[in-house]
Amino acid sequence: MDSIENITSSFEKHGYICSEKIATAIFLAAKLEKPLLVEGPPGVGKTELAKTAAYVVDKPLVRLQCYEGLDEAKALYEWKYSKQLLYTQLLKEQLSDVLGGAIGFKDSMTRLHAFSDAFYSREFLEPRPLLRAMHEKNGSVLLIDEIDKADFEFESLLLEILSDYQVSIPEIGTIAATKIPFVVLTSNDTREASDALKRRCIHLYIPFPDQALEERIVLEKVPQIDDNLRKKLVGFVQALRSLDLKKTPAISETIDWAKSLLLLNAESLESDLVVNTLNVLLKFEEDIENTKSNLASILKQA
Amino acid sequence: MHKNLVNFISMLRSHDIRVSPAETIDALNAMSVLNFEKRSQIRDGLAMTLAKTKLEEKVFLKCFDRFFKSELPNINSDSLSEDTISTQDLSNLIEKINSNEIENETLMSQTFNDLAQTSLMKNLMTNNRTELALSLRRAAEEVSLSKIKLFTQKGLYTRKILDLMGEEHIRNAIEIMEKSNDQSLNEIKNYRDILRQEVKDFVEREYMLQAQARNKKLSDDILVDVRLSNIEHYYLHRAKDLITKMASKLSKRYGKQIKRSKKGRIHMPRTLREGVPYQGILFKTHWKKKIRKKPQIFVICDVSGSVAAYTKFFLIFLYTIQDVLPKVRSFAFSSHLGEVSSFFVENSVERAIELVNWQYGGATDYGGSFEDFKNLAIADIDRRSTVLILGDARNNQGDPKLEILRTIFERSKQVIWLNPEPRRAWGTGDSEMKRYQTACHISAECGNLRQLERVVDRLLKSTQ
Repeated sequence: MDSIENITSSFEKHGYICSEKIATAIFLAAKLEKPLLVEGPPGVGKTELAKTAAYVVDKPLVRLQCYEGLDEAKALYEWKYSKQLLYTQLLKEQLSDVLGGAIGFKDSMTRLHAFSDAFYSREFLEPRPLLRAMHEKNGSVLLIDEIDKADFEFESLLLEILSDYQVSIPEIGTIAATKIPFVVLTSNDTREASDALKRRCIHLYIPFPDQALEERIVLEKVPQIDDNLRKKLVGFVQALRSLDLKKTPAISETIDWAKSLLLLNAESLESDLVVNTLNVLLKFEEDIENTKSNLASILKQA
Repeated sequence: MHKNLVNFISMLRSHDIRVSPAETIDALNAMSVLNFEKRSQIRDGLAMTLAKTKLEEKVFLKCFDRFFKSELPNINSDSLSEDTISTQDLSNLIEKINSNEIENETLMSQTFNDLAQTSLMKNLMTNNRTELALSLRRAAEEVSLSKIKLFTQKGLYTRKILDLMGEEHIRNAIEIMEKSNDQSLNEIKNYRDILRQEVKDFVEREYMLQAQARNKKLSDDILVDVRLSNIEHYYLHRAKDLITKMASKLSKRYGKQIKRSKKGRIHMPRTLREGVPYQGILFKTHWKKKIRKKPQIFVICDVSGSVAAYTKFFLIFLYTIQDVLPKVRSFAFSSHLGEVSSFFVENSVERAIELVNWQYGGATDYGGSFEDFKNLAIADIDRRSTVLILGDARNNQGDPKLEILRTIFERSKQVIWLNPEPRRAWGTGDSEMKRYQTACHISAECGNLRQLERVVDRLLKSTQ
């Protein structure tokens, strides 16, 4: 990832067509060692971007899916509570050996202090995705997916990790990343991220692609499809996006549709065929009905 | 470059994009690794480090195009005025001058030669755009053009910059040449006009960048304090933007606090019970979940002519902060009252307000409307409910039905009355405000946006 041209070509090799803007963002994030915050409507390839990045740099991908109620214990680390208890039970018998010969309460106490930290050591630490990403020896690609689904508290928790690439664990101290991971955060814009978080990130907005780019993407993913049909179907989807729909079809849906048209051995966009396969593109009955009534004009546009 | 970037960022700030110093440093770092040859790359790189939302990015792109229009040389040469004389014309001109010289018009050629020696004229004649742009910038800095505030200052600044660039040489030369009635006079005049146009455009651009945003800010500050019913139609749009801004500020402040202590306290009995199979060791912990019933807000709005404007803004405000507010049920009345919550579900806020006004507008009857409210919703009011009433309490001498409001007052958590009239007008004429006030927890004035914001802020605080 040392130049924008290299990024574009190596991402393309792994089946991800990126525009110059996306390539610039990846380049900057890698160069400045800053997390990349990717926003955009669902299905434009935000998650795919991180996955491909992991392939390109050949490092493990650590993924953290955010949801409401996600907290430290599930994202960062947890103490192996059961293991700790089990060990205390097993070591109960040893206690007399340790304390043997101690005179008085104070003496036993001092002896015990020598062991007290044993139960809060790395052996009892259960690393969760964030900590795991920092532990990777050769670095990693950390994907924090759909950050907007998580709570505000969680965002604040991320701040230390994203700016300094380190985690503070009260019982142990600060653990810094062995090698700085390439961090990608994605957001669907259901809630605006806090300023503090945005400030630390390189911001990238991925809109729906234009006709040419989308055709290239379809070509990449469904190479068997006929050129003419490809142009038509992409045009149709582009026209659909300009309508007032409940859920606009995304790139992934265009690809699905292209695949299904291929399966059906379609050669051109007949209106019957479109009506029958519309449910691949549109996910709401209302949208389908809406489109059906305007089908002729949309087909003409495409 | 640093200085330019800092200028650019301060301009972004004046266009409501919040750029922190840390981001400025990021932007500088980004610039240092990017390729300066490619304008789009620089633009994208800056956008990614400075503009952090989709909307900000849009504003950013606009500002970038304006600000760096005269900055980058490749763009510069494309966007030049077409009447610029090419080098060939120039050599023609010099030839002509020379031939003139043979015709022994010594005074003129002397003037011209002197003029051609000045750096400004040299740059103009050789079409050296970069050098011209640079000297233009330098002059602009000298006269601190970035402080331009009013459009009336444009001429003054243009003049000052022209003087600093040494335009007077050209002016003087033209004067002399005019006397001698020379042919090359027109060419020189042409140069002068190009120069003037360029400087004028530059000043114009700078004015648009600096002053416009500043004036907008100024008018916003004023708009906040204007009585809502006096806001002219032209500013309505702007007022709505302001409301959205206020609302998003409030929802950010209160949105964060919603999920405090969701986990709750430890459920000791259950945890102990679960521990029994393990010899009383507490392997599994259980937590008490707090189950909180959501508070409800009842909004009762007067939509009669005298209050309609206020109601409109209030409802826009209220429905913009939907995501941080508890459930809102709204009622509208003038002569009779009805529930209008469903209007807001089915339509956009503005459309819903129009519908409400259309359906419930008329002369006010508080008594009858309270009666209607009693039949409709009083059973749903409990100690978690907040009742908001917006109206001027002018009852056209009718029965105020105070006892109904009193029942609401006793059943609910709080009754807030918002009156758009200034406090000293309460209770005058047919206003029943003084009497209604006795059955309200809070009564407040809400004549302008600032007061409105304060009221909503208080509401959010109390419903959290």
